[in-house]
Amino acid sequence: MSGHQDCGCPEYMELSRRQFLAGTGATAAALSLPAWLPKVSFAQHFSSTRDVMISIFLRGASDGLTICVPHGDPNYYTARPGLAVLPPDSGDPDRAIDLDGFFGFPQPLGVLMDAYNDGTLLIVHASGSQDASRSHFDAQRFMEVGKPRDPTLGSGWLGRHIASVPPKDPNALVRGIGVGYGLQMTLQGGPKTLPVPDMDNYGLRGNPGTQQERQAWIEAAYADAQQDLADAADNALATIGLLEQIDFANYQPAGGAVYPNSPFGYSMKSTAALIKADVGVEAVHLDKGGWDTHNNQGVFEGQMYTLMTDLAQSMAAFHTDMFTEDRTDWTMVAMSEFGRVVAENGSEGTDHGHGNAMLVLGGSIDGGRVLTQWPGLAPEQRYQGRDLQVTIDYRDILAEIVQNRLENPNLDIVFPDYTPTFKGVTI
Amino acid sequence: MKAMKELDSWLKEQDRGGEASDRPSRRGFLTAAGLGGALFGAGRAQAGKDVPGHHSLGDTAPAPASTMLKLVRRVTLGLTEEEVARVDELGYEGYLDYQLDYEAIDDSELEALIEHNFPSLFLDPPEYRELMNGQLIGDLLTATVIRSILSKRQLHQRMVEFWTDHFNIDVRVGLGPKLKPVDDRDVIRRHALGYFPDLLRASVRSPAMLFYLDNYANRVGNPNENYARELMELHTLGVDGGYRESDVVELARCLTGWGFESRRPETFGTFLFDPRFHDNDPKVVLGEIIFNPADPIQDIEEALDILLAHPSTARFISTKMAKWLWGYDPPESLIEQVVGVYDATGGDIREMIRVILRQGRLRTAPPKLKRPYHLTTSVIRSVSADLGRARGLWANLLGEAGHIPMYWNPPDGYPDTLEHWVGLQLSRWNIGFAVMNNEIGTRVNLAALLGDARTPTAIVDRIDALLFGGEMTAALRDELIGFLPGGEPNESQIRDAFALAMASPSFQWY
Repeated sequence: MSGHQDCGCPEYMELSRRQFLAGTGATAAALSLPAWLPKVSFAQHFSSTRDVMISIFLRGASDGLTICVPHGDPNYYTARPGLAVLPPDSGDPDRAIDLDGFFGFPQPLGVLMDAYNDGTLLIVHASGSQDASRSHFDAQRFMEVGKPRDPTLGSGWLGRHIASVPPKDPNALVRGIGVGYGLQMTLQGGPKTLPVPDMDNYGLRGNPGTQQERQAWIEAAYADAQQDLADAADNALATIGLLEQIDFANYQPAGGAVYPNSPFGYSMKSTAALIKADVGVEAVHLDKGGWDTHNNQGVFEGQMYTLMTDLAQSMAAFHTDMFTEDRTDWTMVAMSEFGRVVAENGSEGTDHGHGNAMLVLGGSIDGGRVLTQWPGLAPEQRYQGRDLQVTIDYRDILAEIVQNRLENPNLDIVFPDYTPTFKGVTI
Repeated sequence: MKAMKELDSWLKEQDRGGEASDRPSRRGFLTAAGLGGALFGAGRAQAGKDVPGHHSLGDTAPAPASTMLKLVRRVTLGLTEEEVARVDELGYEGYLDYQLDYEAIDDSELEALIEHNFPSLFLDPPEYRELMNGQLIGDLLTATVIRSILSKRQLHQRMVEFWTDHFNIDVRVGLGPKLKPVDDRDVIRRHALGYFPDLLRASVRSPAMLFYLDNYANRVGNPNENYARELMELHTLGVDGGYRESDVVELARCLTGWGFESRRPETFGTFLFDPRFHDNDPKVVLGEIIFNPADPIQDIEEALDILLAHPSTARFISTKMAKWLWGYDPPESLIEQVVGVYDATGGDIREMIRVILRQGRLRTAPPKLKRPYHLTTSVIRSVSADLGRARGLWANLLGEAGHIPMYWNPPDGYPDTLEHWVGLQLSRWNIGFAVMNNEIGTRVNLAALLGDARTPTAIVDRIDALLFGGEMTAALRDELIGFLPGGEPNESQIRDAFALAMASPSFQWY
């Protein structure tokens, strides 16, 4: 495989056509890549050593102070008489599991201790977006597009990454999958990228005997359709063929890994199967919602406990499943739009905050620690007197992964108008 | 109406048997042994899209000969021969008036059917307490879908859908099943074509809303900001409407004590303002002081007055309505006109719609993509399918497309954007096949639709009349005739032709 002829170049043609379309109409502009996206350098050669990127968005503002407990900070206990996870030496059955003498995991995240101890799991605390918004919808959008408060930006950081590198696999029919019904903003703008609600159930209804004929009809009918519709149709047809090849139903995770019997666990298992099938998909995005715990947060049982258990068990299973077979060519990040207020509210919950904890897992991640510039939780140390500060911009973490693990130096495209400072999260 | 009687008898038998088999047939899966082998069938051209004329926007969207059918598509959940005939008879203005004057449209037969088959929609709040959540959700969703499809008050149904998203409540969460049916009836449907202030005030008193956004837990000394924030951000001013964090906090204080009865069975589910939990101290919302120690319930009434009078509210609501009915990117001049109507009429939703859909305006409106719910109803309506186990429509088809009504969890409601919905094509195509092959509990009477059409041309003419009101594009016509074998196609081929037309690009727009 040499030269750009083999690298899926129609996509580069695609790129300049999209630039051409930008501004010719609202619908096209909404989905086209930014007009300033420069033509990708053909000097980049095809490489198969890049990681698969798995992006997880925890929707609703997860409570980072519970996901990674600052048990060494006395102000945590002052602020959260009801919700605080007690220190590791407290003897309480729900006590924190110590990580580094200052931070700890709540019990449900104990399943991730193997990953922490083998150095593949990193927690980045007091991190997030520096934008002040506490609107879920704005903050999610800003984080997913990779820049706050730019209404002209309608593509996601991961979509732009896919668009600005040659395919990991030149034969790839599908490069990005968003697990869900609508393509998440994170992936918008990515060529050969589409939403798939259920990888194991992706086919055209009707008589199997006429399936090819009907698919061919659809393909022809969509050839002259409006651009976005035509692209979506192409992607759908390609994906039918692709996923048909993978026997998700009988997939056996390696190492005895057991994924939770939940929609999220199932999607994570499908993602593992997809990666192992090596069909060229280079990015998968998953959502996990329900984190907006204003009321009865349920740290020890109930809402947040259930969410944390599902997330942690899924990630731990994925870790076992992949690493047992020495599949280390992937990086997984879980992030949320902002964190939650340091002090608990009157309904045994927490309101919208600012700084949060990110989880990063992967074969080439410098983990086994909590990376942070801990600002403290005393009232005078809080953001606007109420929240955990953001001391590490989430883009610093993602940009390093994009450059070092996804081998994409075009950080100005992936994170426009931002100059990242790498924090040494990759090895 | 014949359809009604058949529906009624089908519904009586609704609970017999299990779910209709609804999974797509499994193909033999190859186990993954690496990429190897042939991928999907007839190798697809990689660069095949460098076709002249490929890039023009909406060139396979319906190109209406008249703006009249465009109006019908905007105000209904799908064309029917009946509605096409009606607009021919009444003309543009007459048809718009007809749909706006919805209470004069006789929907009594449908409503009798709904009341007969889904009595759980018509109860007093306390009566919901003892009923099973599954039954309540099933009734509400099935009735919603049936109404969308069969009601003659189509514009009302379209606005019910719009306001359901605007004042979103996830019916599954907590007490949702026991509270949302009343909200659907007394807040959304009652005011969907009424006045926005009435709609807002009803929503603010809605136990379903006060539960869903935690306001029942919002008490003096222990404030909970969730509802106050979304009331400003999503329901009135909009996120850029000019409120500050302090306004959220102050509005939350106004809303303290505002909840619903959940303990005493005899008043379960009724709105309840408890002054013991109310913060009586003065508040400042959007620069205005609110202080009513003698009559604390006035705190929220005054706060609502402030929100309703704020220019951002008129603009936010007007813009959203224009996007719903006119197009994704309404011109500023249109928005300003609608704002003017909001101001002049005190938020008269019907008059705002009248301005949005004025003939001159609609003529220039670009097409919008049908969301899956709309696509499903338009498929069913076009072929007058018997609804039978209508449950299959939302449980199967809408489930696969991610658009089950009232199943959207965050308070912003299902999006109305191209970018959210355009990606999932496969589920959209499958709607037509599922319906035409009677796979999900509904039934299509093909013989009745075809009349004496037997040849490919005659069959495609029928598809044209039923699905497109006679405006099928020449390209689609050729493609469908090309699909059907010469002579007399068999029933299976005809069903597929209908389904392919339903999957075609043109049918995705309205």
